Amino acid sequence: MARAFRRRGSGADVRYVAQLDPDEREVVASLMEQVRGLLEAPEAPDHGDDEFSGIVAGLGIGRGDPLAEHHADVEHPRGHEGAPGPRDPALDRLLPTANREDEQVAAEFRRLTESGLRHRKAAALDTAVAALRSQDAVRLDEAAARAFVTALTDVRLVLGERLQLRTDDDLDLLEELADSLDPEDPVVHAVALYDFLTWLQETLASALLGD
Amino acid sequence: MSLAPTTEEVVAPEGHVAPDVPWVTIVWNDPVNLMSYVTYVLQSYYGYPRAKAEKLMMRVHTEGRAVVANGPRESMEADTEALHGYGLWATFQKDS
Repeated sequence: MARAFRRRGSGADVRYVAQLDPDEREVVASLMEQVRGLLEAPEAPDHGDDEFSGIVAGLGIGRGDPLAEHHADVEHPRGHEGAPGPRDPALDRLLPTANREDEQVAAEFRRLTESGLRHRKAAALDTAVAALRSQDAVRLDEAAARAFVTALTDVRLVLGERLQLRTDDDLDLLEELADSLDPEDPVVHAVALYDFLTWLQETLASALLGD
Repeated sequence: MSLAPTTEEVVAPEGHVAPDVPWVTIVWNDPVNLMSYVTYVLQSYYGYPRAKAEKLMMRVHTEGRAVVANGPRESMEADTEALHGYGLWATFQKDS
């Protein structure tokens, strides 16, 4: 049974500590590694599906939209112009368009910043994975906690994209849907996992805020 | 209320950009990022006091977007890059 992140000590000795089962630690570490793989992959405009389906391969979730019916009348907030060519939408959540008014400015920004951003995100994911695999409790100093909370964000962004979360109401709809599905349905598992990651991140963000 | 200072319209000679037209960094609402995390990022990156960070976070949440900083273009680009590093949906643009 997982125990939330809590802040212990203060100043340079501050530690953020959570208790996760070995299984839970491994699931989170494995998702972080998959996101890292996504960031490492070179531009793969034409076969993004093959490259990146691994993120939810273990969950058995394709690229379908579990909320398709609902989304029929929702204007997708994503889809701003500026991202040239088809690219895995999850990558667009990790590295979004920086200027919605000027495609050229957005492209130039991407050219200058993307490699560095991919690098820094990968480094944060590495730090988080190392912390998950090194000991029984997840015990983080300030710097590792900052890397960890951001790594959790990136995993949730990718999972949220795979679950087609588009509006603030979508998670509620998805949870209702999950309640009506067979407990063995991959969507049920994915929603539970997403909720677990949300809970874990919430406790770490609150601890970092000093709450 | 906007954080961006009101600016008088400046008519620049053709081919010149008015140097004092400020740029803004905008954070957009998204269904994934947590309210606590957005507050943490604004506090952590900008050094905003908790109350200001929460106010901006709430504006993102309720209005769909908020201007979180304004200033020269280079600074707004640096902000946007940093906020992308945190996983927030940030953009920069000329203030309008």
